[in-house]
Amino acid sequence: MNKQAQTLAKDNDGGSIFKFILSELRPKGRILTPFNIIAIPIILLGIVLIVIRFINGIGSITNLSQDTPWGLWIGFDVVTGVAFAGGAYVLTFMVYILKMEKYRSIVRVTVLNGFLAYLFYAGALLLDLGRPWNVINPIIGNSFGTSSVLFLVAWHFLLYMIAELIEFSPAIAEWLGTRRARKILSGLTMGAVIFGITLSTLHQSGLGALFLMAKDKIHPLWYSEFIPIMFLVSSIFAGLSMVIFEGSISHKVFFDQISEKNHKAQSGILQGLAKICAGAMFAYFFLQLLVFIHSKNWDLINTPMGYWFLFEMIGFVLVPMLLYLYSYRTRNILLIRLAAILTMVGIILNRLNVSVIGFKWDAPVHYYPSWMEIVVTLTVIFTEILIFRWIINRMPVLRDSPAWVEEEH
Amino acid sequence: MDGFTYHNIFDTKGIEYLAIIAFFAILIPFWIVLNRQVKMTRQLKRKLGILTASMLKIPQGIFFSKNHMWTHLDSKGIAKVGADDLLLHLTGEVKFSKLRKPGENVQKEDLLAVISHNGKQLRIVSPISGEIIAVNTLLQQNPEALNEDPYLKGWMYKIKPTRWIAETSTCYIAGEATGWSVKELERFKDFLAASVERYTPEPSNLILQDGGELIDQPLSALPEEVWKDFEHSFLGTKPKYPHFRGLEKSGYDKEYFQ
Repeated sequence: MNKQAQTLAKDNDGGSIFKFILSELRPKGRILTPFNIIAIPIILLGIVLIVIRFINGIGSITNLSQDTPWGLWIGFDVVTGVAFAGGAYVLTFMVYILKMEKYRSIVRVTVLNGFLAYLFYAGALLLDLGRPWNVINPIIGNSFGTSSVLFLVAWHFLLYMIAELIEFSPAIAEWLGTRRARKILSGLTMGAVIFGITLSTLHQSGLGALFLMAKDKIHPLWYSEFIPIMFLVSSIFAGLSMVIFEGSISHKVFFDQISEKNHKAQSGILQGLAKICAGAMFAYFFLQLLVFIHSKNWDLINTPMGYWFLFEMIGFVLVPMLLYLYSYRTRNILLIRLAAILTMVGIILNRLNVSVIGFKWDAPVHYYPSWMEIVVTLTVIFTEILIFRWIINRMPVLRDSPAWVEEEH
Repeated sequence: MDGFTYHNIFDTKGIEYLAIIAFFAILIPFWIVLNRQVKMTRQLKRKLGILTASMLKIPQGIFFSKNHMWTHLDSKGIAKVGADDLLLHLTGEVKFSKLRKPGENVQKEDLLAVISHNGKQLRIVSPISGEIIAVNTLLQQNPEALNEDPYLKGWMYKIKPTRWIAETSTCYIAGEATGWSVKELERFKDFLAASVERYTPEPSNLILQDGGELIDQPLSALPEEVWKDFEHSFLGTKPKYPHFRGLEKSGYDKEYFQ
């Protein structure tokens, strides 16, 4: 295992960058892992479906219609995926601005995760656009559409992806062994972090603001003028729960890349994150309660949708919040992970309730995603994980930076 | 009633204000629970191997001398003496070698025994004067008892004291002993920084973890010179201690002085 780790993780030390990249492109490790056996057939099928979608149009593989133009691809891939990517701005804020050094060892992997999430899930937006080539319009100014929330979201996604790429770029420079580039890029990090946090807080809420226009279409228990705030607050613990979940898996899968010191720090990091999640969820729960009181929808609680609302609020906000609190108090790592999974399910539920389930809930014909939409969604997720694994196995993300980085400090 | 108008609290903002007040009211206990020192810290620190004052056993009814020895007088007028928990946490597991036999007389601060760890030794001195009544022979067979239970199974000698009141008046007891242990631990950190720098080629961050926490048994990995230094600074054993004062007559452990 150790020997494999040494061959897996090796940075370029002064050789030709071109040759190095060529040698790194070759697959490393075993091909037939359980993950590959499941993921690769689905990805191949997904690619076929995507080709069909671009040849025959979006209606050919989805259940979308003029009445329900937004389905699983927006509700899950974009809206939920971006919430889960929120861990990056919270963590960079904690480490670079608040200087909580304890969390530094997981910043890179979280930023990488956030960057890939935006790249793929916002990229999945292209699948959903009727005329995807028009996506460039708000950027090049062929009718900016400044009065649209989508204008804000489009620009923010683009700028935030660049900011996260800059935050991550020192790792790429270390991998390629380009010392000068690393020096310049790591000098840009702080600026990118501050810019990125500003963008994140705005577009996490901006995604919620998209739904403000659909006041009559969203079930009143989920619609309120405070959706943007709810989306922002929930992105804090959604992102951190994703960090806990992803960190726990990485810890096992990439066991041999993580240094002894960081292994030991892991449980302390998880406990710290659990505490923050508990606090954020406490605030979120009360905000939801206040919004509920403010909107005076008492009579709706005793309906099937009302029970569904209570199920989400109690089962997936209150319960995981208490679980986070309890597991933090008792230092129970297993329960922290359970709480993270419950929270993530809750976030998926919440975003789907706003964008799919509670959206036109009273329409005679309700939208259900087709199996092909689900396969394409899985394709996007699995491809992202494959790229993530490719990068982790090559660049100094989980493992320590090469020795020359220390020397230059 | 004239002039009284009823407002439905559900129709006004009233209920929202109440909810906000309730939020802050619940926030207080929530915040306290979230931030209270975790009850398992002590066990956890032991597991992580961090040495803090809260980990030390400090029985409140026994006397602690400045030399990190304890003494306790029983109802028959016989005092037990032994090494304190702080010392044993600093050294780690040690072997006890007696230097005295029953029937001998010792003065306060006379050499009493040697504790050793991997060949590195510390000489410890008596907290009181008196006649040796008994030696704890169990420590020879079961050396772990010293570290596991320093105040009960880990006693070293039984001494019939001759100047109990005068000599224990300089000792620490109860709250004083706790406070003194905390200070000693801090003093040890300073000592360590200075001594380690003097005697080891590269200052190691092994001893003080991030945040300046001591690891448990910090002395065990350090060279003999540091042990000698420690003996001088903490155990009150004079550097040129007349090893043989009062020992010539006794059959002390000859191996030790060779």
